[in-house]
Amino acid sequence: MNDMRIAERDVSTSETKITARDVNVHYGASHALKGVDVDILNGHVTAFIGPSGCGKSTFLRCLNRMNDTIAAAKVTGRIELDGENIYDPKVDPVQLRAKVGMVFQKPNPFPKSIYDNVSYGPKIHGLTRSKAELDEVVETALRKAALWNEVKDRLHAPGTGLSGGQQQRLCIARAVATSPEVLLMDEPCSALDPIATAQVEELIDELRSQFAVVIVTHSMQQAARVSQKTAFFHLGNLVEYGETGQIFQNPRDPRTESYISGKIG
Amino acid sequence: MTDISAHPSGKRKTSSLLQLDARTKRRNAAERRFQIYGLVCIGIAMVALVMLLVSIFSGGASAFRQTFATFEMTLPAETLDPDGNRNPEEMAKVTTIGYQNVLRQGLVTAVRGANIVPEGMTDADITGMLSPEAAADLRNRVLNNPELLGQQVEIDALAHGRIDGYFKGRVTMQSAERDANVTPQRLQLAQAMADNGLMALRFNWGFVTKPDASDQRPEAAGLGVALLGSLYMMLVVLVLSVPIGVAASIYLEEFAPKNRWTDVIEVNISNLAAVPSIVFGILGLAIFINFFHLPQSASIVGGLVLTLMTIPTIIISTRAALRAVPPSIRDAALGVGASRMQAVFHHVLPLAMPGILTGTIIGLAQALGETAPLLLIGMVAFVRDYPDGPPAGLFDPASALPVQVYNWTQRADPAFVERSSGAIIVLLAFLLVMNAVAIILRRKFERRW
Repeated sequence: MNDMRIAERDVSTSETKITARDVNVHYGASHALKGVDVDILNGHVTAFIGPSGCGKSTFLRCLNRMNDTIAAAKVTGRIELDGENIYDPKVDPVQLRAKVGMVFQKPNPFPKSIYDNVSYGPKIHGLTRSKAELDEVVETALRKAALWNEVKDRLHAPGTGLSGGQQQRLCIARAVATSPEVLLMDEPCSALDPIATAQVEELIDELRSQFAVVIVTHSMQQAARVSQKTAFFHLGNLVEYGETGQIFQNPRDPRTESYISGKIG
Repeated sequence: MTDISAHPSGKRKTSSLLQLDARTKRRNAAERRFQIYGLVCIGIAMVALVMLLVSIFSGGASAFRQTFATFEMTLPAETLDPDGNRNPEEMAKVTTIGYQNVLRQGLVTAVRGANIVPEGMTDADITGMLSPEAAADLRNRVLNNPELLGQQVEIDALAHGRIDGYFKGRVTMQSAERDANVTPQRLQLAQAMADNGLMALRFNWGFVTKPDASDQRPEAAGLGVALLGSLYMMLVVLVLSVPIGVAASIYLEEFAPKNRWTDVIEVNISNLAAVPSIVFGILGLAIFINFFHLPQSASIVGGLVLTLMTIPTIIISTRAALRAVPPSIRDAALGVGASRMQAVFHHVLPLAMPGILTGTIIGLAQALGETAPLLLIGMVAFVRDYPDGPPAGLFDPASALPVQVYNWTQRADPAFVERSSGAIIVLLAFLLVMNAVAIILRRKFERRW
């Protein structure tokens, strides 16, 4: 399976990046995720939709093992990144998270300068050898996050002083700066106004040429706009997974249909 | 939609907004009452503070001023250096008694020179005007600088405690008649000397820098050794309790699994914070002195005992500060692939720093004022010698500020009353300096964005 790894980061093929099989999550006594099977493809935006508490965020947090930080959470099943089981005891979650970046629901920049926010990841992973190289990485990441032009004159101003939408794009730049292979986004636009949302959505579409992007969203319109694949979760079950167009226009499962037509959720 | 909001009678009662109804009036009255209670409470606290400060400062401010007899005299080389070779080792053979005689001669000459006639007083009586400490001071001065011999020098001699008390209003002619240590004649002479500029009250650094003195010489007693002892103990507490306390809290808060063991540890740490301080004194006596055989009265032992006392305070406040850091910051750091330790040290700890500093300073302030455990490890001893510089000096006997206060309040001479109040002022000033440093540090660490 190792030969499926690609050296250059231009992701145009649609091969499987992440394979999840029979993933179950328990929070103490509650069974939050029940036997989920999903394949996440390179070069695609995959949207997870579903009503609150359906397990979509829980599943997203399984993909970079952020659930490890919750003592009560227990994950079973197999999740493979390029054929390697990320829950293998030999896998260090820290190394995994360098490959699988994450953007959170609420913009959470560090209370440091814009520059320090973006350069933090490359610094701790030792990705650059000199200040000039680091400057370049920061600029590239900010350009990818469509933020460079707005902040290039105040890189040393506090990141928390930006507007909400800018902060979220700063968080995206921070995640992108470590050159991850997969980018997970947990409702990245729920705290943003429509204009900032549009900017972030545009960004997501551009980012998929370099990463496999997984996005959790409450907004079905957003899922329809940005994603190529959509997974519908309900009460911890993956109800339906398929092409976004098919899910929205021609859902196979009656529960999917009721959700997207607004009858449940 | 049915009108469920309507009044039960079916008819809605409307009222004018310009007229307060009874319920609003009651609520407003309750709010006003509560504000008054609050103001009264603050008033009581302020009155208590003012009373404390007034009583301490009115009693203690005079401790910083001392009466000195100032006169010029020639130091006789032949009595103070019989061999004539200015060798300090040989000069040291002349005791303070020799210097006392020299001082008396000088003082008598100065008094005569000012045309003051000390009625009914012998030369020995006149010596009693000065503190026994004055001769020792002069001896030290000469031994440190033998060139002074044979020269005209200005003498600044500490006046006797009773004479000092006369200028501070503590000793009167009436009380002097019943006092074995002073006579009305001496007071009259003191007044005459003061009128002629030979004697005056002035600021006395010796109170802060000199070591303690015996019960007979309150005028010479100072806080030097106690200040150094307290400083050394604070250094020990700071160096030990902050790293131990902060590391323990970080482990408990960020890394430890939440199970029965950590619950037990948590409960015990909270209980430890409430253990009476004297218990820590007994612990220090049993462990550090009887088992490890560390020296008694040493600031290292005091520091260790106070460290044990301070750790729980620091742990509790540090954990609260760590918990107050939003989890989103940890998520953000973990999300870009930081290890848990990197997340803590790069992001969580800097944000928790102001809270940690506040807890540390509260702990240190408690430790600074603690007396009881120090009594048990022998820091109540009478120490005249300054401890050496750290680290060796940590093992030398020393006193501590609160113990010095306690010590002085036990003494018979009324002159120690002002000195213990003065020592409290120094203790409060020490505390104020520590708090100021903490506030400056906190400002530095606080992130305003």
